[in-house]
Amino acid sequence: MSLLDLSDLAIQAGELSLVDGVTLDVHPGEIVALVGESGSGKSLTALSIVDLLGEGLRVTRGSRRFDGADLTPKRLRKLRGQDIAMIFQEPVSSLNPLMPVGAQVAESLIVHGTASESEAQSAAIDMLRRVGIPDPDRRATQLPAELSGGMCQRVMIAAALISRPRLLIADEPTTALDVTIQAQILSLIRDLTREQGTAVLLITHDMGVVAEMADRVCVMYGGRVVEQGAVHDLFAAPRHPYTDMLLRTMPRPDDPPKEPLFAIKGSVPGPRDWPSGCRFRSRCPRADAACTERPPLQGDGHRAACFHPMRPT
Amino acid sequence: MSAALAFRPRTLAAWWPAGLLAALVACAILAPWLAPMDPDRQNLMARLKAPGFEARGALYLLGSDELGRDVLSRVIHGARVSIVVAVSSVLLSGVVGVAVGMLAAYLRGWVETVLMRLVDIFLSIPAILLAIITVAVLGPGFINVILVLALTRWPRYARVAYGQTLALADRPFVRLSRAMGASTPRVLALHILPNIIGPLLVVATLEFGLMVLFEAGLSFLGLGVQPPMASWGAMLSTGRNYIATAWWIATFPGLALFLLVLSANLIGDRLGDLIGKGR
Repeated sequence: MSLLDLSDLAIQAGELSLVDGVTLDVHPGEIVALVGESGSGKSLTALSIVDLLGEGLRVTRGSRRFDGADLTPKRLRKLRGQDIAMIFQEPVSSLNPLMPVGAQVAESLIVHGTASESEAQSAAIDMLRRVGIPDPDRRATQLPAELSGGMCQRVMIAAALISRPRLLIADEPTTALDVTIQAQILSLIRDLTREQGTAVLLITHDMGVVAEMADRVCVMYGGRVVEQGAVHDLFAAPRHPYTDMLLRTMPRPDDPPKEPLFAIKGSVPGPRDWPSGCRFRSRCPRADAACTERPPLQGDGHRAACFHPMRPT
Repeated sequence: MSAALAFRPRTLAAWWPAGLLAALVACAILAPWLAPMDPDRQNLMARLKAPGFEARGALYLLGSDELGRDVLSRVIHGARVSIVVAVSSVLLSGVVGVAVGMLAAYLRGWVETVLMRLVDIFLSIPAILLAIITVAVLGPGFINVILVLALTRWPRYARVAYGQTLALADRPFVRLSRAMGASTPRVLALHILPNIIGPLLVVATLEFGLMVLFEAGLSFLGLGVQPPMASWGAMLSTGRNYIATAWWIATFPGLALFLLVLSANLIGDRLGDLIGKGR
C-alpha cells in the first residue's frame, strides 16, 4: 500500500488554476522525484501535502491521503515534524538566525513532546554527528550565521530526520549549494533515508539529480503530470515529447563536442496563457488537432499523457 | 549587533544619556533615603521660601512650595511616580500592542482586518480626548493613569509589530517550523518575537519619554496622579500660579522632566541607529 497518495489534486489562486489534476503516489521507503520547470506546480503540490500553501492559494479538488487516511488539518498537526518532515531550498534562511542550531534540530522532538529538553539536546548532537558535522557539541551551540551554507543544509537534514519520519519532502534541497557540496548532500539524504526507511518526495528541476537519487519519477508541466514511471524506464524510453526534450537538454560526455546543446524552444507559458487541451502543445513539434483535447495519463506503471507519444505504450 | 553594543572606551562617552537615565532611576529607587525631608510634610511657617532657605536646622536646598513642603524632596519622590507610571504603561501597552500586531500579521484573514481596523480607530482618536473620557469614567488616580496611557498607546506597538511580523511570516524558517509542527504560540514566541524585538525596543524607549511627558500632562490637568502624591506634572501645575513670585516651584520639576525625557529619547535614537546599521 502506498504511504502518500495524491489523487486528482487541483490548486487555485482565486479563479486561476495552478495545479490541475495531479495524481501521485509514494511507497514506503522509496525515493520519488517530482520534476519540472519553475511554474510547473511541483512545489505547490508538495506544499499542499503539509497544508503550507501561502495566502490566497487553496486546494479545490482531489484527495490527499497519508497512510490510508485523509490528511485533515487536525491529523496534519500530529504528522508534521513527526511522520512527515520537510527540507527547503534555502538552507540559511530556513534556519532561525537567533536560535542555536542544536535547539533547532531538537525542535520537532520538543514540539511533539517525544523527548525532554535534555534528551532532545543530546539526540540533536547525535543527529548532527550523523549528518557529518564535525565537533557537533560545539556546533550545536552556534548560530546559523556561524555555519557555511552546506553545513546549514546538513543541519536542516538533521532537523528533518531526527524524529525518524516516514516521509521526507525535500524541495530543491541542493539548488542553493555549490556543485561539490550538492553531491555530498544528496548522498547524505539518500543514505540516511535508506537507513531509516524514510520515503522521499524529491522536488527538483535537475534531471541529473533525478538519475542519481530517485527510484521513480513524476514529470510535471503546466500544473499537470505529463509522465511518470520508474527512473530506468523513463530515462531509457521517454514517451512524452516534453520528457524526451527535457532529457536531451542534459549535456552528455559522449555528445559531439562542437554541437550546441539542445534547448526546448519558447518558454513556459504562465498559467493565464496555458493552451486548452494538452498544455505542452504550443511548444510541441508533434502537436496536431487532436491535442486540443486533454490527453489522459495512459499506460501501466510507466504512464504518459500524450496522444502522440514518442513510443507506443 | 552585540559587537556594536559593546561598551568600548571610545563609544562609552556617547552613552552618557544612559548614565543620566541610570542616575534618575537611582534617585527614584533611593528616594526615601536621598530626600532630606518628608515630601508631604507641610510647614506653614516656611511657605514659598527661596532656594537655600534654612529654618530650625532644616535646609530647603531648592526652596519650598505654597504649603511649605521641600521642593527637592518632592522632585526626588516625583521621579518615582514618573518612572513607575512610564515603565508600567510602556510594559502594558507594549505587551498588548505587540500581541495584537503579531497575531494580526501571522493569522491574517478576518483577525487581521478586525485588529488592524481597531488600531486605525484608536490612532484616529485624539489621545488627550481619550484620556479625559477614560478618566471621567474610571476617575483619576495612579493606577488609572497607567491604564489610560496603555489604552492610548498600544496601537503604536501594534503597528510596528504588525509590519515586522508580516516581513518575517513568509521567511522560510518560519514556514519550516510550522512544517515541523510548531504551534502558533510557539512560532510567535520563539521564532518571530526574538527577531522583531530590536525595533520594538527602540519604540519602547522613545515611548518611555513620551509617557513621562504624558503623565506630567495629565497630572498638570488634574486628571492624573492626585495630591498630595508628588508628581512633576502636578508640581508644574501649582507652580504655574506662583511663577512670578516663586519661580523655583515650577522650574525644578520641569528641569527634572526635561532631563528624564531627553535621556530616554537620546537612548532611543541611538538604539535606532545601531539596529538600522545592523540590518
